[in-house]
Amino acid sequence: MGIGELDREAHVPEATSAGAAPRTLAEALRARGDEGLAALLRARPDLLSPVPNDLTQLATRAGTRGSVVRALERLDRFALQTAEALAVAPDPAPYPVLLALLAGDEGDPAIEAALPGAVALLREQALVWGEDDRLRLVRTARELLAPSAQHPSPTGLGPTVAEATAGMSPGRVQEIIAAAGLSATHDPVSAVAALTELFTDRARMGALLDEASPEALSVLDRLVWGPPYGEVTANPAPPVRWLRDRGLLLPVSARTMVLPREVALHLRGGRAHRAPEPVAPVVEVAREYRPQVVDSAAAGQAYTALATVEELLKSWDQGGPQVLRAGGMSVRDLKRTAAALDVTEQVAAFWLELCFGAGLLASDGEADERYAPTPAYDDWLDLPPAERWARLVAPWLTATRTAGLVGGQDAKGRTLAVLGPDLDRAAAPEVRHRVLELLATLPPGAAADPGTVFARLRWERPPRGAAQPVPPRAPQAAAGTDETTGTGTGTRPEAHGDLRSRLARWALAEAELLGLTGRGALASPARALLNLPLAEAATPTDHGGRVELSVAAGRAATLLAPLLPEAVDHVLLQADLTAVAPGPLRRPLADALAVLADVESKGGATVYRFTPGSVRRALDSGRSASDLHDFLAAHSRTPVPQPLAYLIDDVARRHGHLRVGAASAYVRCDDDTVLGEILADRRSAALGLRRLAPTVLAAQTDPASLLEGLRSMGYAPAAESAEGDVLVTRADAYRTPARTAPAPVPEGPPVPDTTLLGAAVRAIRAGDRAATAVRKEPAAPVASAGGLPRTSAAETLATVQAAAMTGTAVWIGYVNAEGAASQRVIAPVRVEGGFVTGYDHTADEVRTYPLHRITGVAELADDQV
Amino acid sequence: MLHTGGLAVTESGPGRTRSHVNGPLIVQSDKTLLLEVDHELAEACRRAIAPFAELERAPEHIHTYRVTPLGLWNARAAGHDAEQVVDALVEYSRYPVPHALLVDIAETMARYGRLTLSKHPTHGLVLTSTDRPVLEEILRSKKVQPLVGERIDADTVAVHPSERGQIKQTLLKLGWPAEDLAGYVDGEAHRIDLAEDGWSLRPYQKQAVDGFWHGGSGVVVLPCGAGKTLVGAGAMAQAKATTLILVTNTVSARQWKHELVKRTSLTEDEIGEYSGTRKEIRPVTIATYQVLTTKRKGIYPHLELFDSRDWGLIVYDEVHLLPAPVFKFTADLQARRRLGLTATLVREDGRESDVFSLIGPKRFDAPWKEIEAQGYIAPADCVEVRVNLTDAERLAYATAEAEEKYRFCATTATKRKVTEALVKKFAGQQILVIGQYIDQLDELGEHLDAPVIKGETSNAQREKLFDAFRNGEISVLVVSKVANFSIDLPEATVAIQVSGTFGSRQEEAQRLGRVLRPKADGHQAHFYSVVARDTIDQDFAAHRQRFLAEQGYAYRIVDADELLGS
Repeated sequence: MGIGELDREAHVPEATSAGAAPRTLAEALRARGDEGLAALLRARPDLLSPVPNDLTQLATRAGTRGSVVRALERLDRFALQTAEALAVAPDPAPYPVLLALLAGDEGDPAIEAALPGAVALLREQALVWGEDDRLRLVRTARELLAPSAQHPSPTGLGPTVAEATAGMSPGRVQEIIAAAGLSATHDPVSAVAALTELFTDRARMGALLDEASPEALSVLDRLVWGPPYGEVTANPAPPVRWLRDRGLLLPVSARTMVLPREVALHLRGGRAHRAPEPVAPVVEVAREYRPQVVDSAAAGQAYTALATVEELLKSWDQGGPQVLRAGGMSVRDLKRTAAALDVTEQVAAFWLELCFGAGLLASDGEADERYAPTPAYDDWLDLPPAERWARLVAPWLTATRTAGLVGGQDAKGRTLAVLGPDLDRAAAPEVRHRVLELLATLPPGAAADPGTVFARLRWERPPRGAAQPVPPRAPQAAAGTDETTGTGTGTRPEAHGDLRSRLARWALAEAELLGLTGRGALASPARALLNLPLAEAATPTDHGGRVELSVAAGRAATLLAPLLPEAVDHVLLQADLTAVAPGPLRRPLADALAVLADVESKGGATVYRFTPGSVRRALDSGRSASDLHDFLAAHSRTPVPQPLAYLIDDVARRHGHLRVGAASAYVRCDDDTVLGEILADRRSAALGLRRLAPTVLAAQTDPASLLEGLRSMGYAPAAESAEGDVLVTRADAYRTPARTAPAPVPEGPPVPDTTLLGAAVRAIRAGDRAATAVRKEPAAPVASAGGLPRTSAAETLATVQAAAMTGTAVWIGYVNAEGAASQRVIAPVRVEGGFVTGYDHTADEVRTYPLHRITGVAELADDQV
Repeated sequence: MLHTGGLAVTESGPGRTRSHVNGPLIVQSDKTLLLEVDHELAEACRRAIAPFAELERAPEHIHTYRVTPLGLWNARAAGHDAEQVVDALVEYSRYPVPHALLVDIAETMARYGRLTLSKHPTHGLVLTSTDRPVLEEILRSKKVQPLVGERIDADTVAVHPSERGQIKQTLLKLGWPAEDLAGYVDGEAHRIDLAEDGWSLRPYQKQAVDGFWHGGSGVVVLPCGAGKTLVGAGAMAQAKATTLILVTNTVSARQWKHELVKRTSLTEDEIGEYSGTRKEIRPVTIATYQVLTTKRKGIYPHLELFDSRDWGLIVYDEVHLLPAPVFKFTADLQARRRLGLTATLVREDGRESDVFSLIGPKRFDAPWKEIEAQGYIAPADCVEVRVNLTDAERLAYATAEAEEKYRFCATTATKRKVTEALVKKFAGQQILVIGQYIDQLDELGEHLDAPVIKGETSNAQREKLFDAFRNGEISVLVVSKVANFSIDLPEATVAIQVSGTFGSRQEEAQRLGRVLRPKADGHQAHFYSVVARDTIDQDFAAHRQRFLAEQGYAYRIVDADELLGS
């Protein structure tokens, strides 16, 4: 793009006279009311950061590539198709032309009805401006959507005749004119115009094509819906030659021909899209249940969710698995967790991420980093079940972390670890919310057909993958098979195109796991949760939104509470040494019972089994046998079976029968009165003596000090060996432990051997050669007298942006990849993605410079350009 | 994916399936079902879930049933469909049933019957599938390939007739149990009638016979003492064909013969015994597992028995004890009707699936407690007597070799004293003393002045002693584990177990069965287990008694001192 072709839309316009058609986007924006601007900013919030200074700047920003791409990505399929059609229409295009491109020659009532809405949407988003007679697509959008050789158009259309013949010799154009049966003109421009006119005239074109052989028509057939390019041999077959001679195929290069846009449109009956989709697909009902059935199934699952989270974190009570160096949990630990929870790894990953997202588990941050429950987990445990559920669901709705990605690979082929980095997907909360909203559109108790949900989501936000010039049905079909085979695990590199579909699939599965849906239908607590605007739920940083969500979550919890099984405060004890809690147990009771018995089976009820081991565990934790008897009697609805009472007594009888402790030395004496004397002596206090048996004292001091102490008290103790013999003290010679003699330490390094020498010589030679080689490039350039201009990065960016906008030239200091500094005078044309592209006066060509290599910018004095 | 999965679980119209807010059933995530027995709907619920769930434990308050693939397939074989199963769960469940579990049940049940074995008019035995991918999947298995012949069409493949059992076994292992509709040969006709003079089949026995006959082949589960022999006789009277009866041992064979002569039109001459001592082949032949599995020079010489006649019915007594080689022979007998009789489907070797595929699905089952409630078996009082080892014994026990430990604590002298005290306490009643170790039994026999039946006792002697015991000529009998199975001691009211085969639950059930037959005088039955405290004897006893407790026989614990003192 040359410097002369400045952005018309952004160019600072002269004051416009009121009432006249806007000539630029800025003017169009200026003509809008405040609500119109607010709508634009709401739809494209990126335009707001930072807040633009004026409408011109807003228009400029709205035309930047990044922003336009983002805006296009957020269009629904029909709005996007409308934009695509505008991109292949003449610029500006009147409304009827656009309508014809979408509805075709025959027309389509559905499209006629939907098009005004789509145009209004595009206009609101500042992607289209101008009155209905002169609709203009923003230039960047046009560039993105219009067909070019580099990126094929989503419409599958090729370049226009004028574009395709741009580089052609006038003689060749005349030949085509003649072959097409048109009268010769000398002027290539009018010749192209005549050809275009022929191609756009349905009747004459029909007549021309009637002459074509069936083979030629089949060639056209192959190209008509795109891609419009075809390979030809140096010596094409007669049908291709026939088409080429008449300009129905135009050469792009020696081997490639293209079907001109006008011809394709004629063959398509004027339609830019094979299958325009003016109406959003309807989410269909797969099966209807009674709402109570749905609610009860969902509540059952909600309860299971709570139990699973508790089970997971309880098992990590003494510290969970290690944190990988790169972050996250190892695959092995995930497998282990999955086995412990008796779920698949994918589901285990979901529970882990759920706990992580809800702040119930985190890394402990120690040197040897491990995962562990957080203090918030303990607070969470104290909440009533429905509240606990709400505390899980609210963070899930807004989380960008996506458990479904776990086990897949990132762009570099690294496996994505659960709780690890790179699991954030910005679209996740919005997709989750949208999926639930779509379910909410169905009557209570109706389960949606997941396929139609995905189709609807794809329509609302067509995946970028569908921008390929393939029939729009194809990607849906592909995604459909993907879904039935269930490859939702994401083992292949993540394609942006189906990410939203995968997110939606995960959202459905996760909603079922959380009990937001039951049997695939939205449960009533979940409906309460959705009763808030999307924007608030989707932006967790927004304080207001968070409060809203927590209020909604509270409402949902209130609805859920009566559906959850009520906590019971008793168990049934049975003679086979089991206890059955016929429902969730109150917390203190559950904790106490978990110590006293092993859990054998979980679910709505809990089955505990008493074993000698479990009873011992309870005794170890400080309960006495009578405590346990009382505890069981108090909490059992049924009499305590005799075998259970026997078990407790049996274990208690033997518990603590043997005692173990540590002592450093002992004193023994056959005469227990002597030991009594020693204990009574106040001087022995320092020795830490304790009587273990009538004839044995244990001491906390070492044997030597003990001997010393006893001697000082006037006793004559003898030391005893480990075998019980009296140790005889002799003047033994003192020796070190076994030691090796010191090795000699010669002065200087050891003499190198021949291998080492050889290697050293080779290295020196190589270095020498490298140093003495003649270099082609001269050394660093000479800095100019003024030195390089230096400005801060922000200042640099602002200056070049301003220069790009005004089209003025600036003086920059630049350091190239080799580190050589230079100064250049450039006229920036475009600033985007960290690069500035502009006309370089120094080099006399258009060049692109990375902004981070620009040391500074200075404006030029006027006389310098 | 949770939301898809081709769920065949349909929600029945409003009103048909109502879930009780406070139902008697709790469905656990490990596919066990807890049934609160005191609940008013417990009985209805039990009937609803019995077809597909195996009763695992039946202690006093909450019974545990387990839903297994085999159980679900049993239900399918009995004509129940997934919807009935799901309805039963949803209807009686107190809490919402996890959706995944319902999906899993529906999927598991859908696996049965996709493949069927049937007779083709020209190709003989064929395997047909209603689901082509399943057929493709199993045909790709290396284990199936040698068993099948040519592919007849896309859905049908020929099966070698000799591999009928093999292929059923293999398909079950692959998780696609085949339904066997290939029918049975009638066998050589032989007139057999029940001689119902002054007695008749009990209602549940009749149901069992009907259930079996209607299903073709399969297993009838009845508790010990509930009259399994009569179910066998009833089945024979239905078949009216030559019958081969396989039993555990010779005593049991005689019992069968005795019972058949008494209860049917068969005469002594029509019934042959095929055992270690006699090799008679008659229209009705009773053979022992032992003689069939005798191996000489690497072959089973008595296998020809299966082919010696054109049997119309084969009866397997005590299916849970069926030795592995018999499974192998049974695989070749798939064209004949097979009736399995057992007290429990639990096999300590875990070969329940072979019973399912080779003998057939469960056709009838009634829990002990229920039959007890109907008055057909005697209620029992189970007591565990704990004896203390003396100090000297404790030291000796502590230093004993690991493999000797059990023997040591199981034969402590105190047990003898306790046994004597018990015998004295129940003087006048018929008492059985059961043990594992011959020395201990001999010593007990000496002290109690009672005859001892052990492995070396001849069959004639055994029968003589049993008769004497039955007639009340002797009131105390000391038996080793040879008497574990199939002996019939109608008047034993007290059993005292002094040692057992480690922790075998089987054995405990069988021994309890000795005293469960209804007593003429309505006496309560007593079952005493004498156990040495704080030893592995106690651990084993706990394991065995757990089985009893799970069967609903709450047991008491008594200290030996209490008994000896009184």
